[in-house]
Amino acid sequence: MDIEDFIEKFAFAIEVEPAELDAATDFKKLENWDSLNTLSIIAMADADYSVALSGDDIHKSRTIGDLMTIVQERKG
Amino acid sequence: MNSIAGIAMRGVAAAVPTKVARTSEYDILSPEERQRLQKATGISAHRMSPPNQCTSDLCQAATEHLLEHLGWTRDSIGALILLTQTPDQPIPATSIVLQDKLGLPTTCIAFDINLGCSAYPYGLATVASLMLTLKIPRALMLMGDISRVCAYEDRSAWPLFGDAGSATALEFDPAAPQIHFDLMSDGSGRNAIIIPGGGLASRLPPGDGSSRTVTGDDGIPREPGNLLLRGADIFSFAITKVPSSIERTLASAGKIPAEVDFLVLHQANKMINDTIAKKTRFGADVSLSTLADYGNTSSASIPLTLCAHAPQFDRNRLIAACGFGVGLSWGTVLLTIPANSVLPVIESDHVY
Repeated sequence: MDIEDFIEKFAFAIEVEPAELDAATDFKKLENWDSLNTLSIIAMADADYSVALSGDDIHKSRTIGDLMTIVQERKG
Repeated sequence: MNSIAGIAMRGVAAAVPTKVARTSEYDILSPEERQRLQKATGISAHRMSPPNQCTSDLCQAATEHLLEHLGWTRDSIGALILLTQTPDQPIPATSIVLQDKLGLPTTCIAFDINLGCSAYPYGLATVASLMLTLKIPRALMLMGDISRVCAYEDRSAWPLFGDAGSATALEFDPAAPQIHFDLMSDGSGRNAIIIPGGGLASRLPPGDGSSRTVTGDDGIPREPGNLLLRGADIFSFAITKVPSSIERTLASAGKIPAEVDFLVLHQANKMINDTIAKKTRFGADVSLSTLADYGNTSSASIPLTLCAHAPQFDRNRLIAACGFGVGLSWGTVLLTIPANSVLPVIESDHVY
Protein backbone atom coordinates (compact mmCIF):
# COMPACT_ATOMS: atom_id res chain seq x y z
CA MET A 1 0.00 0.00 0.00
CA ASP A 2 1.25 3.50 -0.76
CA ILE A 3 0.36 6.80 0.81
CA GLU A 4 -1.36 8.19 -2.29
CA ASP A 5 -3.72 5.25 -2.40
CA PHE A 6 -4.38 5.53 1.35
CA ILE A 7 -5.07 9.26 1.10
CA GLU A 8 -7.50 8.69 -1.73
CA LYS A 9 -9.46 6.18 0.34
CA PHE A 10 -9.26 8.40 3.42
CA ALA A 11 -10.59 11.37 1.45
CA PHE A 12 -13.42 9.32 -0.04
CA ALA A 13 -14.41 8.07 3.44
CA ILE A 14 -14.72 11.54 4.94
CA GLU A 15 -16.06 13.13 1.76
CA VAL A 16 -13.29 15.65 0.95
CA GLU A 17 -11.09 16.07 -2.13
CA PRO A 18 -7.83 14.04 -2.02
CA ALA A 19 -5.95 17.17 -3.17
CA GLU A 20 -6.77 18.79 0.17
CA LEU A 21 -4.87 16.07 2.08
CA ASP A 22 -1.32 14.78 2.42
CA ALA A 23 0.58 12.48 4.80
CA ALA A 24 1.23 15.35 7.20
CA THR A 25 -2.40 16.48 7.40
CA ASP A 26 -3.52 16.83 11.01
CA PHE A 27 -6.84 15.22 10.13
CA LYS A 28 -8.73 15.93 13.36
CA LYS A 29 -8.19 19.65 12.70
CA LEU A 30 -9.96 19.47 9.32
CA GLU A 31 -12.96 21.75 9.16
CA ASN A 32 -15.48 18.99 8.55
CA TRP A 33 -13.95 16.42 10.93
CA ASP A 34 -16.33 15.04 13.58
CA SER A 35 -16.80 11.85 15.57
CA LEU A 36 -18.90 10.27 12.80
CA ASN A 37 -15.83 10.49 10.53
CA THR A 38 -14.11 8.17 13.01
CA LEU A 39 -16.67 5.52 12.07
CA SER A 40 -16.12 6.16 8.36
CA ILE A 41 -12.36 5.67 8.75
CA ILE A 42 -12.85 2.43 10.72
CA ALA A 43 -15.20 1.20 7.97
CA MET A 44 -12.65 2.14 5.29
CA ALA A 45 -9.78 0.31 7.04
CA ASP A 46 -11.98 -2.76 7.38
CA ALA A 47 -13.34 -2.76 3.83
CA ASP A 48 -10.19 -1.75 1.93
CA TYR A 49 -7.41 -3.23 4.09
CA SER A 50 -9.16 -5.85 6.28
CA VAL A 51 -7.71 -4.10 9.33
CA ALA A 52 -9.68 -3.49 12.54
CA LEU A 53 -8.98 -0.01 13.94
CA SER A 54 -10.17 0.98 17.42
CA GLY A 55 -11.41 4.37 18.54
CA ASP A 56 -8.15 4.70 20.44
CA ASP A 57 -6.05 4.10 17.28
CA ILE A 58 -7.69 7.13 15.72
CA HIS A 59 -7.59 9.13 18.94
CA LYS A 60 -3.81 8.72 19.27
CA SER A 61 -3.00 9.32 15.58
CA ARG A 62 -2.33 12.93 14.64
CA THR A 63 -1.63 12.77 10.93
CA ILE A 64 -2.91 10.64 8.07
CA GLY A 65 0.62 9.20 7.88
CA ASP A 66 0.39 8.09 11.54
CA LEU A 67 -2.81 6.26 10.80
CA MET A 68 -1.40 4.61 7.68
CA THR A 69 1.51 3.30 9.75
CA ILE A 70 -0.95 1.57 12.10
CA VAL A 71 -2.87 0.05 9.20
CA GLN A 72 0.36 -1.08 7.56
CA GLU A 73 1.71 -2.69 10.75
CA ARG A 74 -1.55 -4.50 11.39
CA LYS A 75 -1.84 -5.69 7.85
CA GLY A 76 1.56 -7.29 8.35
CA MET B 1 -24.63 -29.12 18.37
CA ASN B 2 -25.63 -25.51 19.01
CA SER B 3 -29.26 -26.24 18.33
CA ILE B 4 -32.43 -26.93 20.25
CA ALA B 5 -35.42 -28.95 19.09
CA GLY B 6 -38.86 -29.15 20.65
CA ILE B 7 -39.62 -25.52 21.48
CA ALA B 8 -41.85 -23.42 19.24
CA MET B 9 -42.25 -19.67 19.09
CA ARG B 10 -45.97 -18.88 19.38
CA GLY B 11 -46.11 -15.11 19.38
CA VAL B 12 -44.27 -11.82 19.81
CA ALA B 13 -45.60 -8.40 20.85
CA ALA B 14 -43.96 -5.03 21.42
CA ALA B 15 -45.02 -1.79 23.10
CA VAL B 16 -43.61 1.73 22.81
CA PRO B 17 -44.56 4.99 24.55
CA THR B 18 -46.38 7.64 22.50
CA LYS B 19 -43.93 10.55 22.87
CA VAL B 20 -41.71 10.99 19.79
CA ALA B 21 -38.30 12.69 20.05
CA ARG B 22 -37.04 13.75 16.63
CA THR B 23 -33.36 13.95 15.72
CA SER B 24 -34.20 17.11 13.74
CA GLU B 25 -35.29 18.82 16.99
CA TYR B 26 -32.33 17.78 19.19
CA ASP B 27 -31.03 21.22 20.18
CA ILE B 28 -27.68 20.05 21.57
CA LEU B 29 -26.57 19.74 17.93
CA SER B 30 -26.53 22.39 15.20
CA PRO B 31 -29.05 21.88 12.37
CA GLU B 32 -26.21 20.68 10.10
CA GLU B 33 -25.01 18.21 12.74
CA ARG B 34 -28.53 16.87 13.21
CA GLN B 35 -28.78 16.17 9.49
CA ARG B 36 -25.42 14.47 9.44
CA LEU B 37 -26.24 12.32 12.49
CA GLN B 38 -29.53 11.31 10.93
CA LYS B 39 -27.86 10.33 7.66
CA ALA B 40 -25.05 8.31 9.27
CA THR B 41 -27.11 6.51 11.92
CA GLY B 42 -30.39 6.24 10.03
CA ILE B 43 -32.17 7.42 13.20
CA SER B 44 -34.81 10.10 12.59
CA ALA B 45 -36.78 9.61 15.81
CA HIS B 46 -37.08 7.58 18.98
CA ARG B 47 -39.81 7.05 21.54
CA MET B 48 -39.60 8.40 25.10
CA SER B 49 -41.43 7.08 28.13
CA PRO B 50 -43.16 9.39 30.59
CA PRO B 51 -40.89 10.01 33.62
CA ASN B 52 -42.64 7.43 35.83
CA GLN B 53 -42.91 4.65 33.23
CA CYS B 54 -40.41 1.82 33.69
CA THR B 55 -39.20 -1.24 31.80
CA SER B 56 -41.78 -3.40 33.60
CA ASP B 57 -44.63 -1.19 32.37
CA LEU B 58 -43.76 -1.48 28.68
CA CYS B 59 -43.10 -5.22 29.04
CA GLN B 60 -46.40 -5.69 30.87
CA ALA B 61 -48.34 -3.83 28.15
CA ALA B 62 -46.75 -6.09 25.51
CA THR B 63 -47.42 -9.22 27.59
CA GLU B 64 -51.11 -8.42 28.25
CA HIS B 65 -51.56 -7.86 24.52
CA LEU B 66 -49.81 -11.12 23.64
CA LEU B 67 -51.71 -13.24 26.20
CA GLU B 68 -55.00 -11.89 24.93
CA HIS B 69 -54.02 -12.78 21.35
CA LEU B 70 -52.93 -16.30 22.31
CA GLY B 71 -55.79 -16.96 24.69
CA TRP B 72 -53.35 -18.47 27.19
CA THR B 73 -54.56 -18.68 30.78
CA ARG B 74 -52.22 -17.13 33.36
CA ASP B 75 -52.06 -20.44 35.22
CA SER B 76 -50.53 -22.16 32.21
CA ILE B 77 -47.32 -20.10 32.29
CA GLY B 78 -44.37 -21.81 33.95
CA ALA B 79 -41.58 -19.27 33.43
CA LEU B 80 -41.17 -15.52 33.02
CA ILE B 81 -37.66 -14.38 32.13
CA LEU B 82 -36.83 -10.69 31.62
CA LEU B 83 -33.69 -9.56 29.80
CA THR B 84 -32.89 -5.91 30.47
CA GLN B 85 -30.14 -3.38 31.19
CA THR B 86 -32.54 -1.08 32.98
CA PRO B 87 -34.49 -2.97 35.66
CA ASP B 88 -37.02 -1.00 37.73
CA GLN B 89 -34.74 -1.24 40.78
CA PRO B 90 -31.41 -2.96 41.62
CA ILE B 91 -33.21 -5.62 43.68
CA PRO B 92 -35.49 -7.54 43.57
CA ALA B 93 -35.50 -8.74 39.97
CA THR B 94 -38.14 -6.95 37.91
CA SER B 95 -39.41 -10.27 36.49
CA ILE B 96 -40.52 -11.34 39.98
CA VAL B 97 -42.47 -8.11 40.40
CA LEU B 98 -44.06 -8.82 37.01
CA GLN B 99 -45.07 -12.34 38.09
CA ASP B 100 -47.30 -10.67 40.67
CA LYS B 101 -48.51 -7.76 38.52
CA LEU B 102 -49.39 -10.07 35.64
CA GLY B 103 -51.26 -12.43 37.97
CA LEU B 104 -49.06 -15.42 37.12
CA PRO B 105 -49.04 -18.40 39.50
CA THR B 106 -46.40 -18.66 42.24
CA THR B 107 -45.23 -21.87 40.56
CA CYS B 108 -43.90 -19.63 37.76
CA ILE B 109 -40.09 -19.43 37.59
CA ALA B 110 -39.00 -15.77 37.37
CA PHE B 111 -35.60 -14.13 37.11
CA ASP B 112 -33.80 -11.35 35.22
CA ILE B 113 -30.86 -11.66 32.87
CA ASN B 114 -28.46 -8.74 32.61
CA LEU B 115 -28.05 -8.47 28.83
CA GLY B 116 -28.94 -5.78 26.32
CA CYS B 117 -28.19 -5.75 22.61
CA SER B 118 -27.56 -9.51 22.48
CA ALA B 119 -30.73 -10.37 24.44
CA TYR B 120 -32.73 -12.13 21.73
CA PRO B 121 -30.41 -15.02 20.85
CA TYR B 122 -29.28 -15.38 24.48
CA GLY B 123 -32.83 -15.26 25.81
CA LEU B 124 -34.11 -17.86 23.38
CA ALA B 125 -31.23 -20.22 24.15
CA THR B 126 -31.70 -19.84 27.92
CA VAL B 127 -35.48 -20.04 28.06
CA ALA B 128 -35.75 -22.90 25.55
CA SER B 129 -33.09 -24.89 27.43
CA LEU B 130 -34.87 -24.29 30.73
CA MET B 131 -38.21 -25.38 29.28
CA LEU B 132 -36.78 -28.62 27.91
CA THR B 133 -34.82 -29.50 31.03
CA LEU B 134 -37.48 -28.66 33.60
CA LYS B 135 -40.38 -29.68 31.34
CA ILE B 136 -42.08 -26.31 31.33
CA PRO B 137 -44.87 -26.32 28.70
CA ARG B 138 -45.21 -22.54 28.30
CA ALA B 139 -42.89 -19.60 28.98
CA LEU B 140 -42.72 -15.85 28.42
CA MET B 141 -39.51 -14.12 27.47
CA LEU B 142 -39.60 -10.35 28.04
CA MET B 143 -37.15 -7.73 26.83
CA GLY B 144 -37.23 -4.03 27.39
CA ASP B 145 -35.15 -0.98 28.16
CA ILE B 146 -35.64 2.66 29.09
CA SER B 147 -33.17 5.23 27.77
CA ARG B 148 -33.38 7.73 30.66
CA VAL B 149 -29.91 6.50 31.67
CA CYS B 150 -28.50 8.70 28.88
CA ALA B 151 -27.76 12.35 29.75
CA TYR B 152 -29.70 14.74 27.48
CA GLU B 153 -26.47 16.67 26.80
CA ASP B 154 -24.74 13.48 25.62
CA ARG B 155 -24.77 13.81 21.86
CA SER B 156 -22.96 10.48 21.53
CA ALA B 157 -25.83 8.57 23.17
CA TRP B 158 -29.07 10.48 23.84
CA PRO B 159 -30.27 10.85 20.23
CA LEU B 160 -29.59 7.17 19.50
CA PHE B 161 -31.56 5.33 22.20
CA GLY B 162 -35.31 4.83 22.46
CA ASP B 163 -37.71 3.07 24.83
CA ALA B 164 -39.59 -0.17 24.17
CA GLY B 165 -40.79 -3.36 25.82
CA SER B 166 -41.57 -6.74 24.30
CA ALA B 167 -42.90 -10.22 25.04
CA THR B 168 -42.22 -13.49 23.21
CA ALA B 169 -44.29 -16.62 23.91
CA LEU B 170 -42.64 -20.04 23.73
CA GLU B 171 -44.31 -23.44 23.95
CA PHE B 172 -43.12 -27.03 24.19
CA ASP B 173 -43.86 -28.76 20.88
CA PRO B 174 -42.09 -31.96 19.77
CA ALA B 175 -42.81 -31.04 16.13
CA ALA B 176 -41.16 -27.59 16.33
CA PRO B 177 -38.34 -26.90 13.85
CA GLN B 178 -34.77 -26.80 15.19
CA ILE B 179 -33.49 -23.50 16.54
CA HIS B 180 -29.79 -22.87 15.80
CA PHE B 181 -27.54 -20.66 17.92
CA ASP B 182 -24.14 -19.03 18.06
CA LEU B 183 -23.39 -17.20 21.34
CA MET B 184 -20.23 -15.22 22.15
CA SER B 185 -18.74 -13.01 24.93
CA ASP B 186 -15.69 -10.75 25.23
CA GLY B 187 -15.44 -8.88 28.51
CA SER B 188 -12.22 -7.16 27.46
CA GLY B 189 -14.57 -4.71 25.72
CA ARG B 190 -16.57 -3.97 28.88
CA ASN B 191 -15.85 -0.24 28.77
CA ALA B 192 -17.34 0.22 25.30
CA ILE B 193 -20.84 0.60 26.73
CA ILE B 194 -21.02 1.06 30.48
CA ILE B 195 -23.03 2.63 33.28
CA PRO B 196 -20.19 2.96 35.82
CA GLY B 197 -22.31 4.05 38.80
CA GLY B 198 -24.98 2.35 40.87
CA GLY B 199 -23.15 -0.87 41.68
CA LEU B 200 -20.78 -1.63 44.54
CA ALA B 201 -17.67 -1.06 42.40
CA SER B 202 -18.57 2.62 42.13
CA ARG B 203 -18.66 2.89 45.97
CA LEU B 204 -21.84 4.88 45.70
CA PRO B 205 -25.09 3.84 47.28
CA PRO B 206 -27.19 2.40 44.45
CA GLY B 207 -29.89 4.65 43.09
CA ASP B 208 -30.44 7.67 45.23
CA GLY B 209 -26.90 8.23 46.51
CA SER B 210 -25.04 11.47 46.02
CA SER B 211 -24.03 11.87 42.41
CA ARG B 212 -21.38 14.07 40.91
CA THR B 213 -20.98 15.14 37.32
CA VAL B 214 -17.68 14.28 35.66
CA THR B 215 -16.60 15.61 32.27
CA GLY B 216 -15.16 12.85 30.09
CA ASP B 217 -12.26 13.14 27.64
CA ASP B 218 -14.91 13.69 24.97
CA GLY B 219 -15.92 16.91 26.76
CA ILE B 220 -19.36 15.56 27.72
CA PRO B 221 -20.51 15.89 31.35
CA ARG B 222 -22.11 12.75 32.79
CA GLU B 223 -23.22 11.51 36.19
CA PRO B 224 -21.95 8.06 37.27
CA GLY B 225 -25.43 6.65 36.67
CA ASN B 226 -25.42 7.80 33.04
CA LEU B 227 -24.65 5.47 30.19
CA LEU B 228 -21.34 5.97 28.41
CA LEU B 229 -21.10 4.76 24.81
CA ARG B 230 -17.76 4.56 23.00
CA GLY B 231 -19.25 4.46 19.54
CA ALA B 232 -16.04 3.95 17.58
CA ASP B 233 -15.11 0.84 19.58
CA ILE B 234 -18.59 -0.67 19.23
CA PHE B 235 -18.51 0.10 15.54
CA SER B 236 -15.15 -1.60 15.06
CA PHE B 237 -16.28 -4.64 17.08
CA ALA B 238 -19.59 -4.93 15.25
CA ILE B 239 -18.28 -4.86 11.70
CA THR B 240 -15.31 -7.16 12.37
CA LYS B 241 -16.68 -9.78 14.84
CA VAL B 242 -20.40 -10.04 14.19
CA PRO B 243 -20.59 -11.24 10.55
CA SER B 244 -18.79 -14.51 11.35
CA SER B 245 -21.38 -15.31 14.05
CA ILE B 246 -24.12 -15.14 11.44
CA GLU B 247 -22.04 -17.27 9.08
CA ARG B 248 -21.37 -19.91 11.74
CA THR B 249 -25.07 -20.16 12.57
CA LEU B 250 -26.06 -20.61 8.94
CA ALA B 251 -23.28 -23.15 8.40
CA SER B 252 -24.34 -25.23 11.40
CA ALA B 253 -27.89 -25.29 10.04
CA GLY B 254 -26.72 -26.05 6.51
CA LYS B 255 -28.37 -22.90 5.14
CA ILE B 256 -27.30 -20.17 2.77
CA PRO B 257 -28.52 -16.53 3.00
CA ALA B 258 -30.89 -17.02 0.04
CA GLU B 259 -32.80 -19.65 2.06
CA VAL B 260 -33.40 -17.23 4.95
CA ASP B 261 -36.42 -14.95 4.63
CA PHE B 262 -35.22 -12.08 6.81
CA LEU B 263 -32.07 -10.89 8.54
CA VAL B 264 -33.05 -9.12 11.77
CA LEU B 265 -30.09 -7.29 13.26
CA HIS B 266 -29.96 -5.47 16.57
CA GLN B 267 -30.78 -1.91 15.56
CA ALA B 268 -27.50 -0.15 16.32
CA ASN B 269 -26.95 2.26 13.47
CA LYS B 270 -27.30 2.22 9.71
CA MET B 271 -23.59 2.13 8.92
CA ILE B 272 -23.07 -0.92 11.14
CA ASN B 273 -26.13 -2.78 9.94
CA ASP B 274 -25.52 -2.11 6.25
CA THR B 275 -21.93 -3.32 6.63
CA ILE B 276 -22.95 -6.54 8.41
CA ALA B 277 -25.68 -7.31 5.85
CA LYS B 278 -23.25 -6.73 2.99
CA LYS B 279 -20.49 -8.87 4.52
CA THR B 280 -22.88 -11.76 5.16
CA ARG B 281 -24.35 -11.46 1.64
CA PHE B 282 -27.87 -10.58 2.67
CA GLY B 283 -29.66 -8.17 0.34
CA ALA B 284 -30.67 -4.80 1.76
CA ASP B 285 -34.32 -5.71 1.05
CA VAL B 286 -34.32 -8.69 3.46
CA SER B 287 -32.54 -6.84 6.29
CA LEU B 288 -35.40 -5.44 8.40
CA SER B 289 -34.90 -2.06 10.04
CA THR B 290 -36.72 0.20 12.47
CA LEU B 291 -33.85 2.61 13.09
CA ALA B 292 -35.66 5.50 11.42
CA ASP B 293 -38.68 5.47 13.75
CA TYR B 294 -37.46 3.89 16.98
CA GLY B 295 -33.64 4.25 17.11
CA ASN B 296 -31.69 1.77 19.22
CA THR B 297 -34.03 0.15 21.77
CA SER B 298 -31.34 -2.07 23.32
CA SER B 299 -32.73 -5.48 24.40
CA ALA B 300 -36.09 -4.85 22.67
CA SER B 301 -34.71 -3.97 19.24
CA ILE B 302 -35.11 -7.38 17.55
CA PRO B 303 -38.68 -8.16 18.75
CA LEU B 304 -39.71 -4.53 18.08
CA THR B 305 -38.33 -4.79 14.55
CA LEU B 306 -40.29 -8.01 13.99
CA CYS B 307 -43.51 -6.37 15.22
CA ALA B 308 -42.97 -3.26 13.11
CA HIS B 309 -42.97 -5.58 10.07
CA ALA B 310 -45.94 -7.70 11.23
CA PRO B 311 -47.69 -7.79 7.81
CA GLN B 312 -44.66 -9.56 6.33
CA PHE B 313 -45.12 -12.44 8.78
CA ASP B 314 -48.39 -13.66 7.29
CA ARG B 315 -46.71 -17.01 6.45
CA ASN B 316 -44.03 -19.15 8.09
CA ARG B 317 -40.73 -17.28 7.99
CA LEU B 318 -37.17 -18.37 8.68
CA ILE B 319 -35.20 -15.53 10.25
CA ALA B 320 -31.60 -15.01 11.26
CA ALA B 321 -31.68 -12.67 14.28
CA CYS B 322 -28.36 -11.28 15.47
CA GLY B 323 -27.76 -9.16 18.57
CA PHE B 324 -24.44 -7.49 19.43
CA GLY B 325 -23.17 -4.85 21.82
CA VAL B 326 -22.94 -4.19 25.55
CA GLY B 327 -20.70 -6.72 27.32
CA LEU B 328 -19.29 -7.22 24.80
CA SER B 329 -21.84 -9.92 24.09
CA TRP B 330 -23.12 -11.12 20.73
CA GLY B 331 -24.97 -13.98 19.15
CA THR B 332 -27.20 -15.22 16.37
CA VAL B 333 -30.32 -17.36 16.32
CA LEU B 334 -31.85 -19.04 13.28
CA LEU B 335 -35.52 -19.42 14.06
CA THR B 336 -38.77 -20.29 12.29
CA ILE B 337 -41.57 -17.87 13.08
CA PRO B 338 -45.00 -19.40 12.45
CA ALA B 339 -47.52 -17.52 10.30
CA ASN B 340 -49.51 -14.72 11.96
CA SER B 341 -47.67 -14.89 15.27
CA VAL B 342 -46.05 -11.44 15.05
CA LEU B 343 -48.38 -8.74 16.40
CA PRO B 344 -48.17 -5.10 15.25
CA VAL B 345 -46.47 -2.64 17.64
CA ILE B 346 -48.81 -1.13 20.24
CA GLU B 347 -48.48 2.21 22.05
CA SER B 348 -48.72 2.51 25.82
CA ASP B 349 -47.91 5.21 28.35
CA HIS B 350 -49.55 3.16 31.07
CA VAL B 351 -47.90 2.78 34.47
CA TYR B 352 -49.13 -0.39 36.17
